[in-house]
Amino acid sequence: MADMGTFQQFWYYLTTNGSYVLSQFTRHFLISIYGVLIAAVIGIPVGLVIARNRKLSSTVIGIANVIQTIPSLAMLSIIMLGLGLGVNTVVVTVFLYSLLPIIKNTYTGMVNVDPTVIDSAKGMGMTSFQRLYMVEIPLSMSVIMAGIRNALVVAIGITAIGAFVGAGGLGDIIVRGTNATNGGAIILAGALPTALMAIIADLVLGFVQRRLEPKESSR
Amino acid sequence: MKRLTKLILAVGVLLFALAGCGFPGIAGTDRGTIKIAAMSATESSVMANMLAELINHELGYPTTLVANLGSTTVTHQALLRGDADIAATRYTGTDLTGTLNLPVEKDPKKAGAIVKRVFKQKFHQTWFPTYGFADTYAFMVTNQFAAQHHVATISQLKSLAPSMAAGVDSSWMNRKGDGYADFTTTYGYDFKRVYPMQIGLVYDAVAAGKMQTVLGYSTDGRIHSYDLTVLKDDKHFFPPYDASLVVNDSLLKKYPKLAPVLHRLDGKISVAAMQELNYQVDDQLKEPAVVAQEFLVKHNYFRGGED
Repeated sequence: MADMGTFQQFWYYLTTNGSYVLSQFTRHFLISIYGVLIAAVIGIPVGLVIARNRKLSSTVIGIANVIQTIPSLAMLSIIMLGLGLGVNTVVVTVFLYSLLPIIKNTYTGMVNVDPTVIDSAKGMGMTSFQRLYMVEIPLSMSVIMAGIRNALVVAIGITAIGAFVGAGGLGDIIVRGTNATNGGAIILAGALPTALMAIIADLVLGFVQRRLEPKESSR
Repeated sequence: MKRLTKLILAVGVLLFALAGCGFPGIAGTDRGTIKIAAMSATESSVMANMLAELINHELGYPTTLVANLGSTTVTHQALLRGDADIAATRYTGTDLTGTLNLPVEKDPKKAGAIVKRVFKQKFHQTWFPTYGFADTYAFMVTNQFAAQHHVATISQLKSLAPSMAAGVDSSWMNRKGDGYADFTTTYGYDFKRVYPMQIGLVYDAVAAGKMQTVLGYSTDGRIHSYDLTVLKDDKHFFPPYDASLVVNDSLLKKYPKLAPVLHRLDGKISVAAMQELNYQVDDQLKEPAVVAQEFLVKHNYFRGGED
């Protein structure tokens, strides 16, 4: 093995352990996705509520901001004290970090809806719920999506640290590479797919986000 | 404010539910999954993967690894808290003096019996019979040196020692009970020079001929790849570090079929086999999961007799 270059070793590693890398890739992706999904399920309604009750907004966004400032390794350890080792700890950590971008973007999206549009919706006799559902949410959807996109990219990075609480994922491969005597190729085999996953997630959600942008002509 | 309280309550309830229920697609989030603890050492990782594959293949129970744990203490805590159900590798010597704080016991059988009994009483855990290998300190020389001087045991080095340089783990040098000072008393000789060094470097040092003998770990994969011979500890100086798996009794009660399957590994993995497995991971760029599966397939999942 020692006579091979790092990239040769990297290819050799992938051909021998391909299915293992793939299974960790899926696991890594799912952990990130679940955390972000739960954050979206909770964060979007919270964002809508604080957009209607502006007094609450500074408190809620303040709390989310404080969560965001905690270093990820520290957060992981604190949650581990409660939930123990394993996957759940990582999913909850990802969830907490995803809250801020999702809440903040939902709030910003809602607040930035043109007041004249809302006024005309009122003038048409729409109820509060109809305005939310038919006017405000569609107009702020692309901003909300930008928050989710942001959250997912961060989540993929955080999940990589999850290896330290025994959750598995691509971080596991990276950690093993750092422990091995000649682990350069193994580190690459863990790090490159992680980076690739983040880039692809960003591109795909960026595409979705652009599709959701309100057309200029319809304004 | 009322809304906010409601919201916080809802988040709390959800988080609580999270800890209990599973996420489809991710192993280890479901209550029924068997969680196997592995330390970051290669050997531990290979054995944990082997257990997972064995249980999964033979019984179909879902398994997951709680990997990369830093030490025996962390692993022990994980089992006590229920974060893991099975510890893949536990060593009699480490747990006897570390976890249980008992005096050193040099007879492997007695040491095994003590940990087995105390773990049952104190922690309600079952200490399985050893896999068949011990990861202990061992003196090693190159195959060439062994053949040239006809040495197979540590005692036989006595006449050669005055002209030999030895490389040892720096933490072993001043250790009480089984350190260098006690070694010289037990075996009755001194090396010409002793170099304390980092344990990972000793294999390269002896293979390169910089010293004639070194003290390393008996299951290291490099023993195989560097053509080294492990000398027999004929005076039983080093305490036994027989490797076994440890299981929470609650898990064995929950899955009565589990114990017979786990017992299939009793005494089946020799030191040479473990060296080979470590070698494949450390030197051949294979993942522990892949190595473990290949090993089980090669031995037909140790199905002989039981089924």
